[in-house]
Amino acid sequence: MKKENTRLEALNGMFGIELSVNGVKKTFKVKNDEFLLDALRRHGYKSVKKGCDTGDCGSCTVLLDGKPVLACLIPAFAAHGSDITSVEGLGTVRAPHPLQEAFVEAGAVQCGFCIPGMILASKSLLDAHPDPSEDEIKKYLDGNLCRCTGYVKQIKAVKMAAKKLKRSRQ
Amino acid sequence: MKNIGYYSFPETPKAALAGLLDRKAEAIVVAGGTLTAKTLPDTIVNYIDLKNLPLGYIKKRGRDLVIGSTATFDEIDNSKLVKSWAGGVLSAAAARCSSQLIRNMATLGGNIARPHSFNIFPAVLLGLDAGVRLLSKTGVRTIPFSELYRAGFSLRPGRDCLILEVIIPAKTKNWVCGFEKFAKTEASWEAYITLFMAAEMKNGVIKEARISLGALSPKPFRAFAAEKALSGVKLSDAAVKAAVAALKSELDAARAGEFKKAAAARLLAGFLQTI
Repeated sequence: MKKENTRLEALNGMFGIELSVNGVKKTFKVKNDEFLLDALRRHGYKSVKKGCDTGDCGSCTVLLDGKPVLACLIPAFAAHGSDITSVEGLGTVRAPHPLQEAFVEAGAVQCGFCIPGMILASKSLLDAHPDPSEDEIKKYLDGNLCRCTGYVKQIKAVKMAAKKLKRSRQ
Repeated sequence: MKNIGYYSFPETPKAALAGLLDRKAEAIVVAGGTLTAKTLPDTIVNYIDLKNLPLGYIKKRGRDLVIGSTATFDEIDNSKLVKSWAGGVLSAAAARCSSQLIRNMATLGGNIARPHSFNIFPAVLLGLDAGVRLLSKTGVRTIPFSELYRAGFSLRPGRDCLILEVIIPAKTKNWVCGFEKFAKTEASWEAYITLFMAAEMKNGVIKEARISLGALSPKPFRAFAAEKALSGVKLSDAAVKAAVAALKSELDAARAGEFKKAAAARLLAGFLQTI
């Protein structure tokens, strides 16, 4: 989305911001001390998880203009004019994204709390490196903590998804 | 953040500075925001976001390497030009910062403007004799990186002036360099030690050495005695011992503590053995 002005003013502590979420243009009213994580959850994007709230766990990962970032560290008003992607924008239960399929097939999901963030970080990796090495996968996912499965199956899932995506491109 | 009344996203450094110096609304400039978002003072009224400034470049100017202040850690980590400079030490250092999610957001300018002792780049830039280009109300000027942290330096980056870019001098291109971050985990933000080491070699002799440290004191510092112990000597066990002893005495003076002193000495010895 293109920004038209270079300044927003708050009214009674609230900013009106325009952004795109999962390809749909939205207007949000956000508090001046609210973070993007809370604003997205308040507007129904519950896949964006609140874990540590300090930028350490990666549960709140969203794609901001295509790059995985921590929604808990971004003031909500600073998302004005941005394109946000959450896991809701990737696939559905009936038509899952190849990454979502691969995570299920690899048994990489237990409680599931960290998985939306992990899938979005993986998507960014596969967009940039369609055939990533194991070291690249580990590096890209180093900010997404899982306290259930460990990381072996998630790395396997990303490799599986890379193969699925490669096949779908052929 | 509760008093923020304006969110500004200027497109030129001049416009950003004008907002910063506007005394009607206390302002702060933020680039990645990873170090500041959770700790903004309640007095801030104008939040100036630098993400639209054209300062994300990494390029050669003349024979120097120039990195714009809003270049992210990820961009520095993955830049071919940066990887080809000084043994790729700036890329290696960028890759050691926290996690990929942070590296996607955090910027070079933010890392040197916010005075956390454990920040990655200050020790590296100090050791590389970097210059910093600032924009303040008196105009643009370039200062040595060491000046930025000098007691009595009158400008506060991000409050009174903007950091435009960092200049890495041409003489460092072929230096043999190393960077070590010693922390609780690889992804820990708060390192116990950051150590930059460099040697300019000529015919097997160390012509010039650089050793700089962060996280051991409020500001990064150069270990001049250890550098002197290495300069002009052919590397040998005795030279390594002398440098390590000099470093230890400097760390005693900096009150680094026994554990950190021992760890830093081991890291330096390890680097010297790889040259």
